[in-house]
Amino acid sequence: MTASAPIVITENASSDKLEVFDVSVDFEGLRAIDDVTLSINNREVFGLIGPNGAGKTTLVNVLTGFQKPTTGRVLLGGRDVTGWTPHKLGRNGLSRTFQAVRLFRDLPVVENLEIAAIGTGLGRREASKRSIEILKWMDFEHKAFDQADTLPYGEERRVGIGRALAMAPRFVLLDEPAAGLSDAECDDLMSIISKIPSNFGCGVLLIEHNMRVIMGVCERIHVIDSGKTIAQGSPSEIQNNPDVIRAYLGSKTE
Amino acid sequence: MDSRHITAIIRFLWTPLILSFIVLTIVLIVWASGDSVVARTITDGLIRTVLVIGLYIFIGNSGVLAFGHIAFMLIGGYAVAWLTMSPFKKSFALDLPAILADNQFPLFPSAIAAGLLPAIVAFIVGIPIMRLSGIAASIATFAVLAIFYTIYSNWDSWTFGASTLVGIPLYVNMWVALGWTVFAIFTAYLYQQTKYGLALRSSREDEVAARAAGINIPVQRLIAFVLSAFFMGIAGVLQAHFLGSLIVNGFWLGITFLSLAMLIVGGQRSLTGAVVGVIVVSTIVELLRQVEAGIQFGNFEFSLPGGFQELGLAVLMIVILIYRPWGIMGGHEVPWPFGHGKRILAGGFALAPPLPKDERK
Repeated sequence: MTASAPIVITENASSDKLEVFDVSVDFEGLRAIDDVTLSINNREVFGLIGPNGAGKTTLVNVLTGFQKPTTGRVLLGGRDVTGWTPHKLGRNGLSRTFQAVRLFRDLPVVENLEIAAIGTGLGRREASKRSIEILKWMDFEHKAFDQADTLPYGEERRVGIGRALAMAPRFVLLDEPAAGLSDAECDDLMSIISKIPSNFGCGVLLIEHNMRVIMGVCERIHVIDSGKTIAQGSPSEIQNNPDVIRAYLGSKTE
Repeated sequence: MDSRHITAIIRFLWTPLILSFIVLTIVLIVWASGDSVVARTITDGLIRTVLVIGLYIFIGNSGVLAFGHIAFMLIGGYAVAWLTMSPFKKSFALDLPAILADNQFPLFPSAIAAGLLPAIVAFIVGIPIMRLSGIAASIATFAVLAIFYTIYSNWDSWTFGASTLVGIPLYVNMWVALGWTVFAIFTAYLYQQTKYGLALRSSREDEVAARAAGINIPVQRLIAFVLSAFFMGIAGVLQAHFLGSLIVNGFWLGITFLSLAMLIVGGQRSLTGAVVGVIVVSTIVELLRQVEAGIQFGNFEFSLPGGFQELGLAVLMIVILIYRPWGIMGGHEVPWPFGHGKRILAGGFALAPPLPKDERK
């Protein structure tokens, strides 16, 4: 099929950035995010990793407007978007997937994508066209009219990514897209993720537990543990960072 | 336009075409039989179809169960009485401002105006209510009904209070009701195919994902609420011109329960479900009513005690909710019976048929 044909949907300024400055989030005294600062560039795959409960999803919720930060600011392309509602951020180029996928289960696959395109302000004609293009790109056109809740798990996740891409985002946030996938499915996923920046002209924030996926596709990685930044750098730097190893494996002697 | 393209359009409009065809067939059979009693029953059923489609436009697409829509029927019904009763008849019961008291407006424009009034009311009350979700939204809509019911019951100079207002011109017959029913079917279907309908259905499926996809849920709900209120208003208009009389008490729990029962039995998640629900429930209620009145078996007369209609309806609801929680249609529209042809998306963008599994790759 046409899996290799590039489809650039948006031409974003290459200086576009998604930035987080000194963000903290408190849940009734519990500090879920503690003073995190990071910056994602346009057209890069940026990894966010950390052990369970490190605050990765909370950070994504802050970035996408589902969680207001207690302190700190979120900047999209230099503009302060802290406290914006999710749908407004969505319209301004920030899209995401969910750990729990959250497809529109009773609707066909193609409409799942169309809705996201409509959400950015397109009419149905353009929305259908874009959705079909993305499904073709993902080699998934043959299931366009299948009801979303009839798909196997791995395919559901793929539709979730397609839906996020249908918003022609400036930045797409993928929340554990590899969870529960087989090795072969992970390979497909990695090839899709690594092609997203060039084909869609956007940046990718990838949150993942699967180290093979993270190390395979990310250019830069940010590690948080208990809400705090513990390391930043290239995959090889992160792999050899003693703090990261300690956070993941624990240490025998301090 | 080649024949394949025409096929694609027919496929796209298949549901409203078939539903209209079913309704038309029923009307034609009754018309041919010449039975005026049955014709009145059918007219009543068609008005209920408009009513339940009005309910469906909001409930079906938003997934928010609304208990207060009968308020819009009430508002529409009385509005059309103010506009179309003769000044002479108005002078007996009502004390309206001069412009309404001294004039009698033409029927069709009055019907439209009386549909728009509840739509405007829905817009105003909807701005705060549409921000609510789940049961809070349901209860708030019921509060709207309670408010308007109380106002209209006590607003003697405009509504004749709790008494029956008579003398509304009678012009609604089977054909008028049929025309509005077909219009409601097509409008509801086309609405649900627009980007607004699709956006609202996404919020029904998953509110969080819909918000992340850029959908402003309160705005989308408000659009459906207003459109839905228009058709509820039109149902009130049709009923007023069908019965010739109005009583505030007729727009309270009885009709609220009946209309919701029709929608739930048929299946609240599809337009087909709404129409099927009206047909099934009306048929059962009508049969029970006739048995209540007594039927003859030779010399033996059998009759059920009064109240069996309501009881039968309640039992039907329970059975449906247990065995088919999404109603008879289970959220499906009329299926396309002619296999996999070229499919056309709502945006007019055609898609080649998916290949059968064995031919792929």
